[in-house]
Amino acid sequence: MTETPEPPADPEPTILVPIDVHGEAVLPSGTAALLANARVVLLGYHEIPEQTATEQAREQLGEPAMATLERLGETLTDAGVTVETRLVFTHEATTTIDRIIYEHDCLAVLLANAVPHVENVLLAVRGLVGLDRNTALVAGLFADRGTDVTVYHGRDADEPVAEARGVVTETERALVDRGVEPDAIETVVEETDEPVAAIAQQAADHDVVVMGETNPSVTTVVFGMPADRVAEEFQGPVLVVQRPRPET
Amino acid sequence: MDPSESSDPTRPFDATGVPTGVDLPAAETAVDADTGEGELERTIGLVGALAIGVGTMVGAGIFVFPGLAAARAGPAASLSFAIGAGVALLVALPTAELATAMPQSGGGYVYVSRALGTGAGAVVGLGLWLGLVFASAFYLVGLGSYAGQVLVELGVSLSVQPAVPLGVAFGVVLTALSLFGTENTATVQNAIVVLLVGILTLFLTYGSLDALGVFGTETTPERFFPPGGTLAVVQTAAFVFTSYLGFAQIATVAGDVESPGRTLPLAMVGSVVTVGGLYVVAIFVATSAFGSARLGAFGETAMVEVARAFIGLPGAIAIVVAGLLATLSSANASILSGSRMVYAVSRDGLIPETASRINVRYGTPHVALGLAGVPIVALTATGRVGLLAEVASVLHLVMYGLTCVALIRFRRERPGWYDPSFRCPAGTAVAGGGALASFGLVGFMQPASIAVGTAVMIAAYGWYRAYASDVDLEGERA
Repeated sequence: MTETPEPPADPEPTILVPIDVHGEAVLPSGTAALLANARVVLLGYHEIPEQTATEQAREQLGEPAMATLERLGETLTDAGVTVETRLVFTHEATTTIDRIIYEHDCLAVLLANAVPHVENVLLAVRGLVGLDRNTALVAGLFADRGTDVTVYHGRDADEPVAEARGVVTETERALVDRGVEPDAIETVVEETDEPVAAIAQQAADHDVVVMGETNPSVTTVVFGMPADRVAEEFQGPVLVVQRPRPET
Repeated sequence: MDPSESSDPTRPFDATGVPTGVDLPAAETAVDADTGEGELERTIGLVGALAIGVGTMVGAGIFVFPGLAAARAGPAASLSFAIGAGVALLVALPTAELATAMPQSGGGYVYVSRALGTGAGAVVGLGLWLGLVFASAFYLVGLGSYAGQVLVELGVSLSVQPAVPLGVAFGVVLTALSLFGTENTATVQNAIVVLLVGILTLFLTYGSLDALGVFGTETTPERFFPPGGTLAVVQTAAFVFTSYLGFAQIATVAGDVESPGRTLPLAMVGSVVTVGGLYVVAIFVATSAFGSARLGAFGETAMVEVARAFIGLPGAIAIVVAGLLATLSSANASILSGSRMVYAVSRDGLIPETASRINVRYGTPHVALGLAGVPIVALTATGRVGLLAEVASVLHLVMYGLTCVALIRFRRERPGWYDPSFRCPAGTAVAGGGALASFGLVGFMQPASIAVGTAVMIAAYGWYRAYASDVDLEGERA
C-alpha cells in the first residue's frame, strides 16, 4: 500500500482532512490506506467560543494541539502519504475549512470515518457539472488499486431516463479515459425523491462514498449538508468533491 | 496628566524594534501568523465589526439617556450628543491606526502600555476593566428598566421599582451564559443590531416628519438652550458620553477582523457616525413630543412614552422590545470586553496568570469572566445609573486621551515593528485634539464621578507598584 508501482493517471489529488484537535483526537482507522495516493492537507482546527480570544486559546492550548496534530500527521506519513499540516484556532470552523480548501486548491474534503478496507467506491453524481473533478478524484485515488467503482445517479421523476443514463455513461467514459479499468465500473440509475437517503442506502454496500458539495440554502441550514447527512447514516468515509474556487 | 514626560530618558524604543524588556512568547509577536503553535482565523467582517460597535453603543444613547439628558439640557441635549460624537471621532481615528498596528485583545491598554510604559498601562488596563464593569452595570440597570416596563405594559403592578432587581438577575444570567454557553451567537447578534437600527430608523424618520409638522400635529415649543446655558450642554455631553464607549470595543477584537486595514477604520468611524446620528435625531424627536421636565420624569424609559405619543401602543411595544434587545446586547458586549481586558493584563503579567486560564470543558475564560461578572452584579445592585455611567465614562476617557498620546509617541519614535496598515490622516493633530477633548470632557463630570474614577486609577497604579513593578512593557513589540 505504501509504494505505487506506476504513477497514477492523474497527479495526486489534494485532499483536505479536517480534524477537531480538541481533546483526544484520532484519525479513524483505515484513513491512511484510503488516502495512499493523495496529497493530504491535514487541518487541525480548534473551535472556541466567542468569549475566548483566539490568541488566548492558542497561548494555552497551542502546544498540546500542535503535538496532537503532529502525532496524527505521523500516522499518515508512516503509511507513505504526503502530508502538510495546518493548525488553526477559530471561532467558526466552517470559515477556516473553506479558507484552507481555497489556499491549497483542494479537490475534495474527507469526512473521516473508519474504513476496514477499500474494495469498492460509490461515486454519486448529480449531473455532468462536476464531471472533470469527480472523475479526477476517483481515478487519482483508486485507478491503480483495482478498486471497484459504482457510478450512481438518483434521478427525480422529472428527469427522463435516457438523460439520466447519459449522465452515468458519460461519467463511466471519463473514468476509463483516466485509467480506471472498464471491468471495474458499474452504473446504477434509480428514481428517488430523497437523494440523501438513497445515496446512504447505496453506500451500505460500499466502503467509500464520493459525492459533490452542495450550495448552502435554507434546506441545508435546517437539515444539514447532504454530505454530512450521508456520512452520518453511512458511518463510513465520505469524500466531498469541491467546486473550483474562483481565482482572485 | 501626560506620563510620557516622566518616561525613562534612556529611550526604551530602539531602531530595530527588538524588545528591550522581558522576552515575550513568540505567540505575541504577530497575532495572525503561524508561529508554530497554530494560526488564528479572522472571522469578523465589516458588518460584524459595525455590529459590535453599534450594538455596544446604541443601548445607552437611545434607550436610557434621552429622558435623563433632556432633563439636564433640554432640546440642546441634541448638541450634547453631537459633542460626544465629535470627541469619539477624534479618538476613533487614532485608535483605528493603533489597532491595525497592534491587533490584539486589550485594545487601548496594549497601545498605552507599549507607548507610555507599564504604569500608565496598568492604570488604563485595570481602570478599563473596572470601566467596563461600571458600564455593564449601567446597561444592566437600563435593561432592568425595560424589563420592568414590560411588566407595566402587561398591567402587573409592583410595590417596588423592579429595575434594579431585574438588572441584577440579568447580570447573573448573562455571566452564567458567557461561562457555559458555547453556541456562537455572532449571527444572532448581527441580526439583532440590523433589526434595531431598522426599527429606530423607521421610528425616528416618522417622528422627525411629525415633529417638523408634516402630519399637522402640534409640537411642544421650548427654548433650545437650557437655563444652565452652554455649561449645562457640555456637562450633559460628559454625562451621556457612555453612549459612545462602544467604538473602542471593535479594537479589542482587532485580531479577529478580516482585512483590518480597511475594516477597522470604517467600522469605528461608521459606528460612531451611525449612533451619533440616531442620538441627535432621537433627542430632537423626544423633545418635540414632550417638554424636557416631562421627559426627565419618565426616566430611563422615556423613549417608550415618546413612541406611544407618536404611534400609540404598537410604537410603545416596538420600543420596549428594541430597548430590551439593545441594552441586553450592550451589557453582554461589555461583559465580554471586560473579560478580554482581564486576559490582556494577565498575559502581560500585571495580574496573576490564573486570571486568563481557559476552562477545559467549556473553552471559556472562566476566571476572567468571573472577575468581570461578579463586580458587575454588585454594582448593578447599587442602582446609581448616573454615577455608574459617569465613572465608566471617566475611566474610558482617560484611556482615550492616553491612546491619543500613545499615537503621537509612536509617530515620533517610529519603533521598527510599528507598521499600521491604516494611517490616521493628520495623525498628530487629530490625536492631539482627541487627547485634549477626552481629558477636557472629564473635567465636566460630576465631582463624585471624578472622585470614584480617580480612586480606581490610584488603586490600579498602587497595584502595579506592589505587584508588577518589575514588568517593563514600554517600547515592547506588541
